[in-house]
Amino acid sequence: MKLSTLAMAIGAMVLTSGMAHAQDKTFNIWWFEDAVSAQGITWTKALEEFKANHPDVTVNFEQKTFAQLQASGSMILNSDQAPDVLEYNKGNATAGLVASQGLLQSLDDAYTAQGWDKILNEGQLALSRYSDVGVYGSGPIWGISTYGEYVSAFYNIDMFEKAGLKVPTTLEELTADFEAFKAAGVTPLALGGADTSGQHVLASLAYTKADDTWVQNYQGLKAPLDTAPYLFAAQTMVDWVAKGYVSKDSTGIKDPDAALQFTSGKAPIYISGTWNLGNFSSSIKDFKWGQFLVPTPKYSVGSTGNLWVVPKGSKNPDLAQEWISLLLSPKYQTEQANNGGVSIAADAATVTNPVGQNASAVFKEIADKQGLGFYPDWPVPGFYDVLIQKVAGLLQGTLTPDQFVGELKTTYDDAQANQ
Amino acid sequence: MATPSGASTEDKRSYYLYLIPGAIGFIAIVLLPQIANFALSFTAWKGVGTPRFVGLQNYEKLLTDGQFWGSMSHTLLFVISMTIIPVVLGLVLAALLFDYIRDEFGETVSSLFRAAFYLPQILPITAAGVLWGWIFNPVGVVNIILRAPGLDGLAQNWLGDATYALPAVSLVIVWIQVGYCLVVFMAGLSRIDPALYEAAELDGAGWWQRLVTITIPLLAPEIFVVVLTTLIAALKVFAPIFVLTAGGPDNATLVPSYLTYYHFFTTQRVGYAASIAVVQTILTIGLAVIFLRFQSSQAGKE
Repeated sequence: MKLSTLAMAIGAMVLTSGMAHAQDKTFNIWWFEDAVSAQGITWTKALEEFKANHPDVTVNFEQKTFAQLQASGSMILNSDQAPDVLEYNKGNATAGLVASQGLLQSLDDAYTAQGWDKILNEGQLALSRYSDVGVYGSGPIWGISTYGEYVSAFYNIDMFEKAGLKVPTTLEELTADFEAFKAAGVTPLALGGADTSGQHVLASLAYTKADDTWVQNYQGLKAPLDTAPYLFAAQTMVDWVAKGYVSKDSTGIKDPDAALQFTSGKAPIYISGTWNLGNFSSSIKDFKWGQFLVPTPKYSVGSTGNLWVVPKGSKNPDLAQEWISLLLSPKYQTEQANNGGVSIAADAATVTNPVGQNASAVFKEIADKQGLGFYPDWPVPGFYDVLIQKVAGLLQGTLTPDQFVGELKTTYDDAQANQ
Repeated sequence: MATPSGASTEDKRSYYLYLIPGAIGFIAIVLLPQIANFALSFTAWKGVGTPRFVGLQNYEKLLTDGQFWGSMSHTLLFVISMTIIPVVLGLVLAALLFDYIRDEFGETVSSLFRAAFYLPQILPITAAGVLWGWIFNPVGVVNIILRAPGLDGLAQNWLGDATYALPAVSLVIVWIQVGYCLVVFMAGLSRIDPALYEAAELDGAGWWQRLVTITIPLLAPEIFVVVLTTLIAALKVFAPIFVLTAGGPDNATLVPSYLTYYHFFTTQRVGYAASIAVVQTILTIGLAVIFLRFQSSQAGKE
C-alpha cells in the first residue's frame, strides 16, 4: 500500500468514527452482581425499562466480577475506559481509595435533587461517605447503595424439626444444637475454610464479645487491635473443629462447595451472607430452609450493599443519576425483595416472596438498632486475604488461637500505625 | 554457520531495518515496564495518584518479611517440580517412546502417547486448575478412589493441609510440564543417527546403556534449552498457584509472583510489590546468565 493510500484510509476511519460518535449517545453501565442473584435479575429488568425510556441512547451493559474490580478497579477508573455508571466495591480500600484520588463525581447535590434523602437515612449512608483520605463515615457522598446484606446462619428446617431442635437464641443453644447433630452422626456446620465464610464465622463469633467501642475502634483503625473478641472467636472455632462440629477438611473447601453441602441437605447449617439467597431459593427444592442471626448482643456482620458510583469521566452523569433513582424507586425495591433480595426501602406490604420479605425485615431490624458491624477485612487493605490464610491456619491446626490473634494484631497494628 | 562473505557492510546495515519491529515490541513490552517497575520499587504508591519516593525502604522491609522468604523457599521446591522432575521424566519417557514403544507397537501408538503427554500444555491452565481443584477436594475423586478399597488413612485434605498442599500443587505442575520436555526431547531424538543405536545394539548395549551413552550426550543442546526455559518458568510460577490454592493454606504455597500480585492488587503497596518483582527479575536473569555461560563452555569442549 502506498503511503498516500494509507493516510487516506486512516483519515476515512477517523472521520467515520467521529461521525458515529456524534450520531448516537452511548451510555456504558457495569455491574458485577451475578445474573441469577436478586440484584442481577432486578437490575436486568430495570435496565430494560431504562432502555425503553431512552430510545435515542445506546446502552452498553458489561458484566464484571467482584474480583475484577477489587483487583484493578482503581486503574480502570483512572483510565479513559471507565463507564458512565458502575457498581463499585464499598470500603476504604476500594471506593474510599478512588474517591480520595478524585476519580469519582460527588453525589451530594443529586442526593437531595433526586429525592434520595427521602428514601435513605443517614445510617445507610455510612459507606457512601468517604473523607479526603478515603475513610468511610464522613465526607461527601460518593456512591449510593440500593440493597443491604448481612451474614446469618442458613438452616435446614426439616433437619431441625426431625432432630427436635429449636432455633438458637444464644451461643450456648447454638452449641447444644451442634452437639445434638454431631451425636446423630451429622457434621452440623458447612464451612468454606479456604474461602470467605471462614472470616464471616470468625467475625460473627467475635461480635458476641464486642461492644460499641470495640467495633468503632476496630473498623475505624482508631487503636491497636484489642484481641480479646478475636481470641474468643478463634478458641471457639478450634473447639468446634475438635468436637467435630466443623470438618477438619474444611480448609480444602471453598464457599460454593460448602454451600453445596447445605443445599444438598448434607449439612444442616451454613453461615454466610445474603448473597446466597437467590441461589438457595432456586436450587433448594426438597426441604424447607430459613435463616437466623448468629446470636450476638448487638452487632451482626453486615452492611449496606456495594455502591453505584459515577466516575469522574462519565459523559452522562444525569443518566447515571436517573439510573440510581430508578433502582431506588418502590417498584424496583419491591421487585428486588420479590426476587429474594435484601431491599433497603421496600414496602413490606407489597412484597410477596417470603424469603425477600424476611431478609428485608431482618436487615431493617439490624440497621434500626445500629447493629451493622461491617466486615472484618475492611479496616486494613489486603486483610481479606490475610484472614483467609490465617483462618485456614487456625482450622488446620498450624496456628494456635494465641498465635492466630498475634498474627492478626501484627498486620492490623502495622496498618493502624502507618495510616 | 559462516556469514555470507560477499555481503558488503552497506548490505549488512540494511538488515537492521528488520530488527525494528521486534525492537519496538521489546522496548514497549519488556524494557520500558522493567524500567518503570525498577523506578517504582523506590516509591510508596497506591496504584493511583502520585508515587512518593522512599529510597531503599521497600528493600529493607523485604529483608525481614517472612512471607517473602517463605515464598523464596517454596520457589526452590518448584524448581524440583517444574525443572528437575519433568526433565528426568521427559527424557526417560521420550527415549521409551522413541526407541521402545515405537519399535514394538508402531508409530501410531507412540504418537498417541506423545499427544496425550502434551495435552496439558494445550489446556488452558485455569480450566485444568479448576478441574484439579475438584479432584483434590476433600470429597473429590482422589479421596473417593482411596476410600473405595478402604484406604481411608491415605485420603487427605490435599489442598487444605499445609503438609500436602505443596506436593499436590507440585504434582499438577509436573503433569503440565512433562509434555513440554517430552516433545522437545523427541524432536531432538529424531536428529540422532539411528546407526549409532544399531551399532550399540549389535555390541550388546541394553536400553539403559543406550540412554546413558548415546541419548543423553547427544541430546545435550535440547536438555540445556529445556532446563533453562523451565527454570525461568519455575522462578515466575503464578497461574497454577493462583487457581489451585491462592497461596494457601496459611501461605504454605506462596510464591514470589503471587506475593507481588497480592501486594500490587490487594494491599495496594505497589512500590513494595515492585521491589519483590525487581529481586525476582535479578535472580532470574542471574541464573539464566550463569546457565548460558555454563552451556557455552560445555559447547566449547565438544
